Amino acid sequence: MSARSWALSDDLSSLGSVAALLFAALSIVLLAIELGRRERLGPIIAATGVAATMALALAVLRPVRVTERGSLVGPRVIVLVDQSRRLDLPAEDGTARRVHAEAAVAAVRSRFADARLGVLGFGEGPPGPVPDSGFGPRRSAESDLAGAVGALAESTGERPRAVVVVSDGRLSRPAPGSDDAALKQAVGALGVPLHSVRLAEAGPKDASIRSVRAAGAAVAHQPLSLTIEVGCAGGLECTDVPVAVREHRQGVEPAVLASGTARVEDGTATLELRITLERAGARVVEVSIDAPEGDRVPDNDRRFVTFSVARERVRLLHVAGRPTYDVRTLRQWLKSDESVDLVAFFILRGMTDDTMTEDDSELALIPFPVEELFTEHLPSFDAIVLQDIDAVAYKLDRHLPALARYVEAGGGLIMVGGPSSFAGGNYAGTALERVLPVEISEKVEPHEAAEFSPRFTEVGRSAPVLGALFDLLGEDLPTMTGSNTLGKPRGASFVLMEHPRRKVGGAPMPVLALGESGDGRSIALGVDGSYRLAWSELAAGVSGRAFGALWDGLLGWLMRDPRFEVARAEVVGQCISGEETTLRLHRMPGASGAVAVSVERLGKGSQKVVDQKLPTPPAGPVDVAVGKLEPGGYVARVTVGQSPPARLDFACEKGGEAFSDSRPDGPRLERISAVTGGMSVLAGREATLPQPDATRIAAERHVTPIVPPWVWTALAALFLGAHWVARRRGGLT
Amino acid sequence: MRLSRRHALAGFAALAGFAPTRAHAFGDAGAFHPRIVTSGGAKLDAERTTAPARWAYELVRRTSAPGRLSATSVAFDQPAFAAEPFAIWAGSTALAPLSGPERRGLERFLKMGGVLVVDDLSPASGEFEASARRELRRVLPEVAPVKLDASHVVFKSYYIVERPVGRVQGPAQIEALVRGKYAQVFLLSHDLLGALARSRGGGFSLDVDPGGVAQREQAIRLAVNIAMYVLCSDYKDDQVHAPWLMRRRARRRP
Repeated sequence: MSARSWALSDDLSSLGSVAALLFAALSIVLLAIELGRRERLGPIIAATGVAATMALALAVLRPVRVTERGSLVGPRVIVLVDQSRRLDLPAEDGTARRVHAEAAVAAVRSRFADARLGVLGFGEGPPGPVPDSGFGPRRSAESDLAGAVGALAESTGERPRAVVVVSDGRLSRPAPGSDDAALKQAVGALGVPLHSVRLAEAGPKDASIRSVRAAGAAVAHQPLSLTIEVGCAGGLECTDVPVAVREHRQGVEPAVLASGTARVEDGTATLELRITLERAGARVVEVSIDAPEGDRVPDNDRRFVTFSVARERVRLLHVAGRPTYDVRTLRQWLKSDESVDLVAFFILRGMTDDTMTEDDSELALIPFPVEELFTEHLPSFDAIVLQDIDAVAYKLDRHLPALARYVEAGGGLIMVGGPSSFAGGNYAGTALERVLPVEISEKVEPHEAAEFSPRFTEVGRSAPVLGALFDLLGEDLPTMTGSNTLGKPRGASFVLMEHPRRKVGGAPMPVLALGESGDGRSIALGVDGSYRLAWSELAAGVSGRAFGALWDGLLGWLMRDPRFEVARAEVVGQCISGEETTLRLHRMPGASGAVAVSVERLGKGSQKVVDQKLPTPPAGPVDVAVGKLEPGGYVARVTVGQSPPARLDFACEKGGEAFSDSRPDGPRLERISAVTGGMSVLAGREATLPQPDATRIAAERHVTPIVPPWVWTALAALFLGAHWVARRRGGLT
Repeated sequence: MRLSRRHALAGFAALAGFAPTRAHAFGDAGAFHPRIVTSGGAKLDAERTTAPARWAYELVRRTSAPGRLSATSVAFDQPAFAAEPFAIWAGSTALAPLSGPERRGLERFLKMGGVLVVDDLSPASGEFEASARRELRRVLPEVAPVKLDASHVVFKSYYIVERPVGRVQGPAQIEALVRGKYAQVFLLSHDLLGALARSRGGGFSLDVDPGGVAQREQAIRLAVNIAMYVLCSDYKDDQVHAPWLMRRRARRRP
């Protein structure tokens, strides 16, 4: 097709054209004023004056004739399809909203058959291309329409003539409750109509946990207030909804931290529950509701939250069966560390000791509060050091099962050697033995008196926990007077130091071993002379710093200090049940060797769900795909080379944040369309959406002067001359 | 009759002090071990040679703490001096000035956190104590002796001790060099070793002045408390002990 039009000369700017026209208009106004003073020939003066002004203006503007040949193409239309996981929730008819969205995309394609249609998905960040159906393999947690429109407006390509949004309206941005001005500012950047296709008008019958918010950061041993919002929608009858908060731990059933009842009014209820997380690090907490009968979306009846629990100070219980230089040196080192909150109990008087007093008022002794310590106060400690204390003589034996549970629930335990430690302290065959990193045998001598120097194992040389000690002393360790008899390392425990002569099961006997049990960690040190790292000729050479180097590493490893971990792991994005989960591993400097990753579900009797080995991992961060996981808490362990494993606790949810509110929000889509000049329709009525005009594409353009420029000049000269004559005759100068 | 640890110790203690031995039993490595420092010409007279072992014996007899009943001597400039955190510097006459290596050895010992008891065996003359203070000033010029008040942990580390006494009653307060939170050098003018020393016949070697069984018992209790302070440092200053100790002290007041 072709089209004709006219234009002004291309070599004159718009400003020049306007100036010329203004100048001409001003000339005519002045002429009109002058005509009042003329004596005769008024009409002729006016006619020649106007003609001269116009001819002069045309000589400046030189109008041209434009002839264009080209074609009309369909308008560019962008379809923005909501990629939120929320679209996996059901619509009114029970089918997933995603199914409705796929149908809507197909209908929009049909409606805009002549348009140049682009289908993009929006969720978090800029929109991205999606398959023809409108959905890719990944889902997002959010529905950020404002971000998507903003990204389109900033892109350099051809602007669309219209945008069609396919969503249920439960958008993250623009936020609910925004007024029209805010809506326009959020989604009006393109300056084109935003039509919308509403996928659902009403949600399913659903009781859900809308949100879980914590007031401030989680700190170990300190109460943390959780604000839990419960919602009921879709006509589900809710009054009192029970809520429970549980902590997931390894090897044991989840522990109930708090519970309450949410009283629902007008479809929502807010409940505040206080919980106390005793262990620092990543802790997986489940918040669940007991939904009323008729709830059609059970997946959002529980949320898993991973708290990164900080620790103000390490609260440590140091219990010693008798005071020695070893006890003194350890106490003084612990007291010198401002980050340690030390609670100590030393047995100063034995059963047979003769104090030579008439009564106890002459003594500064207090009873050993074994009952209080190991029942009421036990969870408040981050770690416990048992040093040379007989379990039977001091009635500790009845509390050993609780102590074992404490370790399995995330506590730390160090058993330090001495005549009354390990088998000598009647710990063999007890519940506590199962959480220690070594076996204890009742059938052998509990200890041996021969002097020896412990020897680093290969693991000990490379483990970060002994790195500082190894740097100070190298292979030389001070002489110890005797050793406890320790059994074989248990399960996945690691032996860091061994006896140069004594054997157990044909292998060198462990002297220092560490391992994990449930959520907790434990250490076995089978000598009572670690003080020689502070007090010996060898120790004096490094000013006694070797003792601090050893205990800083042991306590740090026990408390999961990142300095003593071989690697750090994180979940890439979120762990959503049913979707691929990837762990990213960051190895510490100096950590080398094969990487092994195992993932195990938290809870009782769980088994490994992932066990991968990377014999030759690449340099830098390593991504490990761990597959699709079920909802729940998990622990990932990462081993690099022969070092003890680093650990990451994380949670997987079904749907996650996107499932928290199943109600569609059609009115918000309607308002968005209204403020942008678009139309909002319910799914199935896409055929009524207005079509934008076609876009003209020019192929040829001819520009021809209406008359040659000299003609305009000649006419201007002619009319100016005539005007000058008429003015003279009419009595004007 | 059942042979208790106490009986065995009593027999062993009678011999201890005369035949120095090394401890070899498992658990003895970190036991309380009163070592006698010979630097500066310090030495124990014949009547007091049994005192260190008796000190350890009384500790073992009365408390759960292990002690080594063997007497050893050591000098500040010997590497072995830095192998344990406790030593006794006792004498009755003026000390010779310490050599450079001796001063450095003592300084290193104290900076590593060691505890030294300076016991003047002849408080009437005071020559030993004065010379010991002179040498300590050269080693730690920045630390001045302070008087420990009655609330110091050394007076409650095992027994509740009202005032320090030894063979002689001596001053009512102990002076000490305090570094950081810890008293590290106790300056005694009470001849504590004189109150502890035993004769070959089994009795006490020296009479106490002004005298009485109670004074000797108080001296032994002070020795036990010092040993417990060495083994537990400021354990009895922990907050958990405070209410108990306040009640005890209140009950003991007339």
